[in-house]
Amino acid sequence: MRQLFSRRNVVAAGIVFFAVLPFVANPYVLFIGNLALMYVLLAVGLNMLLGYAGQLAFAHAALFGVGAYTTGLLKLELDLHYGLALAAGVGLATVTGLAVAMPALRLRGLYLALATVAFAQATLWVFTHWNSVTYGGAGFRVPPLDFEPFTSRPDVGIYALTCLIVLASVPLGWNLLRSRVGRAWVAIRESEVAAESLGIDVTRYKTIAYAVSAMYAGTAGGLFAGMLGIVTPESFDLFQVIVHFCMVIVGGLGSIWGGVLGAVGLVGLQEVLRAFRHLQEIAFGGLILFTVLVIPGGAVSLLKRYVPGWKEPLRRMEHDE
Amino acid sequence: MSGSGPPAGHPSAENPPAAEPGGGRPRPVSKLRASGISISFGGLKALDSVAIDVEPGEIRGIIGPNGAGKTTLLNVICGIDPPDRGTVWLDGQPINGLKTSRIAARGIGRTFQTTKLFKGMTVLENVMTGLHGKMRASPLAAAFGMRSVLREEAEAARRAREVLEFVRMLEFADDEATSLSFGQQRLVEIARALVSEPQVLLLDEPAVGLSLTRVAEVDELLRRIRRERGVTILMIEHVIRLVMGVCDRITVLNSGRKIADGTADEVMADREVAEAYLGAELDA
Repeated sequence: MRQLFSRRNVVAAGIVFFAVLPFVANPYVLFIGNLALMYVLLAVGLNMLLGYAGQLAFAHAALFGVGAYTTGLLKLELDLHYGLALAAGVGLATVTGLAVAMPALRLRGLYLALATVAFAQATLWVFTHWNSVTYGGAGFRVPPLDFEPFTSRPDVGIYALTCLIVLASVPLGWNLLRSRVGRAWVAIRESEVAAESLGIDVTRYKTIAYAVSAMYAGTAGGLFAGMLGIVTPESFDLFQVIVHFCMVIVGGLGSIWGGVLGAVGLVGLQEVLRAFRHLQEIAFGGLILFTVLVIPGGAVSLLKRYVPGWKEPLRRMEHDE
Repeated sequence: MSGSGPPAGHPSAENPPAAEPGGGRPRPVSKLRASGISISFGGLKALDSVAIDVEPGEIRGIIGPNGAGKTTLLNVICGIDPPDRGTVWLDGQPINGLKTSRIAARGIGRTFQTTKLFKGMTVLENVMTGLHGKMRASPLAAAFGMRSVLREEAEAARRAREVLEFVRMLEFADDEATSLSFGQQRLVEIARALVSEPQVLLLDEPAVGLSLTRVAEVDELLRRIRRERGVTILMIEHVIRLVMGVCDRITVLNSGRKIADGTADEVMADREVAEAYLGAELDA
């Protein structure tokens, strides 16, 4: 019976679930599924910077916003093809991520946290107040997407696109982490001095971590603009930062699958709690507390416990055993 | 013209290949040399014109009381603490001013006083991290899992296993590194520094806190590192038994100054050493 829950079957079941969803779910549930997949990208990218490279940076929600605004505005103002607009969104988010990395490379711990929170707030201020470009606090509508000739339903089209991007970029991240790049990141997280003394150029590999995680955030942002059809500043505020961190911590810091689990689980929880909006923040806080106290390895450590042969590179936590 | 003046080009004491104070005998280029190293931390002079000269294949010990500047000297050599004055040469090439990662790539390996194994990684992954500078995979090639990257990974794993076998830790390859005992972690850290085949190994108290049996193992390991891998070793050590047994020469530091330099017997006979180092211990 236990063989049923082998690692391959568990992953396959997840893929089948998301593949079948457009054929069985109503548009609302499909939207939630799409949201979950989009957050998978975001959480996997954030986990690289936070969980693997160990950089306590809060700029992720802002980069997510840069991706969404760039994609949405290019579609709205220039009527650019959505694919091109998305690519531009990813590009600008990555460049912005590199711009954040420059000063951030010199900072650590609390100072890094403060500087990146300041960056996030400044970006939010630009989204809200640069009326002539961003349409201010009310935001703007993104023109409906067109996925002809593949499908006549835009929501199915963007869902399929998100699925494909997730299917491509999660394995890319996995490959990256099990290479010398992943080892360099964990080495930097554990001891920058030791990393340097082994020939790891700490500055270079931190920069790579910022760039890669910004790419994931920008991609998520561009998809978010496409699927939601509306871009407003409040989608990228500090509460969103907390949601993103919560996904990574509850799912499992320093684990690719942790990011996946955290994103899907928290989007689900958010939906369950939608009727009790004021409870959301309490529930998230409680969940982080519960994770840290009861399953410090995150939800992914449960997988490791109950799924035979569940192994990940660069992740041998004693408390998982 | 002929016959007057000193004979030009004639090998003699007048024309040594390298200026060596106190010796006219021609010597091979030092493996590792530092001279006039001074460094201060906020007014405190940690090292004051310290010189050290390590020959190829030598095992050199550095001893001295706490606060003598021993670890600082290692940090200066591997570029962690750039000196205020002075120069460090590896094989006759100046290396100070380079980044630590560049110096590591030139062939200087390092372990730390408090082991710095990477948590979350297995023993094997820790040792493979030591090969970082020898590997070529770009992030893009790695993300796409190119065949060349996978080949390089397999080769890195093979080399890491080989060096784990060398330090007799292969059976722990898949264990979480920080779950090992203290002594085992030290061995893994040495393996991690050795795997890139450095020319010089800097060890910061490799035997501290180990049982006597373990100290004997470290003694034997250091000899094998020199004999089988041709690595020059510069190590700080407090365990006198190890220092006296394995080191060819010993450098004694006290309060940031070098007070003696020689064989174990010479150093032990030195009055200043007895006062500064052993005397202080006897008083305590």
